[in-house]
Amino acid sequence: MRVILKTKPRAKPRIPIEAEEIIPQNFLRKNDIKIFEGNKERSLDDLFFVTREGPAVSPDQVEVILTGDTGVIKRVGEYMNAGRIIIEGDIGMHCGNFMSAGEILIRGNADAWLGREMRGGRISCEGNAGHYCAAGYRGEKRGMRGGTVEVKGNAGDFCAEYLSGGEVIVHGNCGDMPGVEMRGGTLVIGGDCLRPCGNMTGGTCMVFGQARQFLPTFRRNGSQEAEYAGKRYRMNVFRGDVANRGKGTLMVRG
Amino acid sequence: MRIEDVVCSFCGCLCDDLVVEVEGTRVINVENGCTLANEKFMGDHRLEAPIRRSGGKWEKVSYEEAIAETAGILLDADRPLLYGWSGTYGEAQTIGVHLAEVLGAVIDNTSTVCHGPSIMAIQEVGHPGCTLGQVKNRADVVVYWGANPVDAHPRHMSRYTTYCDGFFVKNAFRERKVVVVDVRETESSQVADEFVKVNPGGDYAVLSALRAIVRGKRDIIPPDVEGVSREQLFRVADMCIAAKFGAFFFGVGLTMAPGKNKNIRNAIELTEELNRHTKFTISPMRGHWNVYGSNEVFTWITGYPFAVDFARGIAFYNPGETTSVDILRRGECDACLVVASDPGAHFPRACAEHLARIPTVQIDPHVNVTTHLSRIQIPVAVAGIDAEGTAYRMDGVPIRTRKLFQGRYPDDLEVLEKIYAIVKEAKG
Ligand code: SF4
Repeated sequence: MRVILKTKPRAKPRIPIEAEEIIPQNFLRKNDIKIFEGNKERSLDDLFFVTREGPAVSPDQVEVILTGDTGVIKRVGEYMNAGRIIIEGDIGMHCGNFMSAGEILIRGNADAWLGREMRGGRISCEGNAGHYCAAGYRGEKRGMRGGTVEVKGNAGDFCAEYLSGGEVIVHGNCGDMPGVEMRGGTLVIGGDCLRPCGNMTGGTCMVFGQARQFLPTFRRNGSQEAEYAGKRYRMNVFRGDVANRGKGTLMVRG
Repeated sequence: MRIEDVVCSFCGCLCDDLVVEVEGTRVINVENGCTLANEKFMGDHRLEAPIRRSGGKWEKVSYEEAIAETAGILLDADRPLLYGWSGTYGEAQTIGVHLAEVLGAVIDNTSTVCHGPSIMAIQEVGHPGCTLGQVKNRADVVVYWGANPVDAHPRHMSRYTTYCDGFFVKNAFRERKVVVVDVRETESSQVADEFVKVNPGGDYAVLSALRAIVRGKRDIIPPDVEGVSREQLFRVADMCIAAKFGAFFFGVGLTMAPGKNKNIRNAIELTEELNRHTKFTISPMRGHWNVYGSNEVFTWITGYPFAVDFARGIAFYNPGETTSVDILRRGECDACLVVASDPGAHFPRACAEHLARIPTVQIDPHVNVTTHLSRIQIPVAVAGIDAEGTAYRMDGVPIRTRKLFQGRYPDDLEVLEKIYAIVKEAKG
């Protein structure tokens, strides 16, 4: 089944929409998908032109396509566990929160907290991602735990904060403090970043561009080769952060 | 009339030893207060009556009219924001939270632009804190990091640290070591025993280096960390380890520097590390008078200290998303109620511009920058002068403030209760 959701014009277009019910499984079972526009509850039809094409017997046969002014729609794909969501433009915060399976493809940019505390599945963002991409919620001790987040463009600050499992690949640059408090999983940064991996206790981070304002609490631990985008690079390897237990691995291109 | 033991309602120190002389409905003299306190008590620039913007001019309106129109604006909004709260007392803040819940609004306080990151760090790793009394009586090493108490909390040093003798510190000026860490020299750094000048944005690295030193990993420290020499880092770390009782105080120079809550987390973890060797505590230098109280009140009622979003009927908290600056910058909210604060003066330009675009109502005794962005302003009594209530000192100690005279203005609580009653009736 293919569900196409095209946004309708709104009187107050900057008021955020919260749409955690836009997940493939709900289009199979639920007839009354509820969405919030600010503090007002709306139906799907209030905010979208909805087109349904073809049948589906299980959620993984459902593909949801969002088009139009989608940059202020938050929480699309939250707790998603099957199927596919394609966003033709930008998407608001918290896209793919806690998702455990399925796939989200964003053709534009994603706002902050993309794939927050994700457990499994795949998110691909063809544009840039905002701050806290693949990170944890406030006060949470574990961020993303499984699955893959791939960002073709840049990511903002605190990317992969508290990363505990899974893989985060940012092909462009990251902002300040990627991999801060990281404790597991893999973070790959194709471009440059600032102050990577502060207070990390585990996991592996690879920076193929420049790591600026490198923290003084990482201990050099030889070098090794790593592959990125089909090429092999010699990487300087560091162990840290020795401000705490220092069991993480940070590799920076030599 | 001379009134003793008056509580100052300006900064987070809440000095409770002021002596104030009152004549009718005016304060004519303040003893023991700093310059900030004198100006707060004796400044007399109150707005006389409620005002409403009409055709590019201000017109006076009655309290009833202003209150009814404010309630109407909030009821019409799809994403109202209730901001401020730190200049008023706990009882009024409580009504503010209930109002936000009934409206489905976002309620936020001034921590959003000061110590919000401190609270976020405390939520991650806890808070090894203590009262100011403990510091006064016990601390032999005091570190001010990114704070300039001489200017911002003028009596902090004389009531609790450098110039104040304590039970176990008989001659504070000689026995207490004071370290100031900042990006530039300040009046506070001039009275310090050790001044550590850090490159702007370099605090996180310096804190990480100090943590590593305290953990015994001295060999890893490079000769220079963000403008601070290895020797000075060793000296400061040794001074802290050798302390009988140490106290960190940090200001917005640390909370608002790049890294924000991660800086504070690093400082807390340094404090924890020092506690393997001696007794060390850490406390934020809260600025706006009862900002600590607003965090307390919000937390009692909602579970969250600031930036609480009731849009979905339940409390949701996510600084960066539900914080006022972010909501205003993104142009999300369609009405704003400002209580006991001046965001027009403190927020980025884009936020002030949005406040001017939407119906903004201000409840505040004085004409300030936000007045010029507002549609309605309702003047009220000043907390701690002609209104009484409970406020929290920067170390979390609640103190009851007094009403020094009966003025002609209603207080925040009265006005907010009337708005709440109208909203509650409309919502059923
Ligand atoms: S230090 Fe703060 S509380 Fe004390 S008198 Fe000055 S302004 Fe008032």
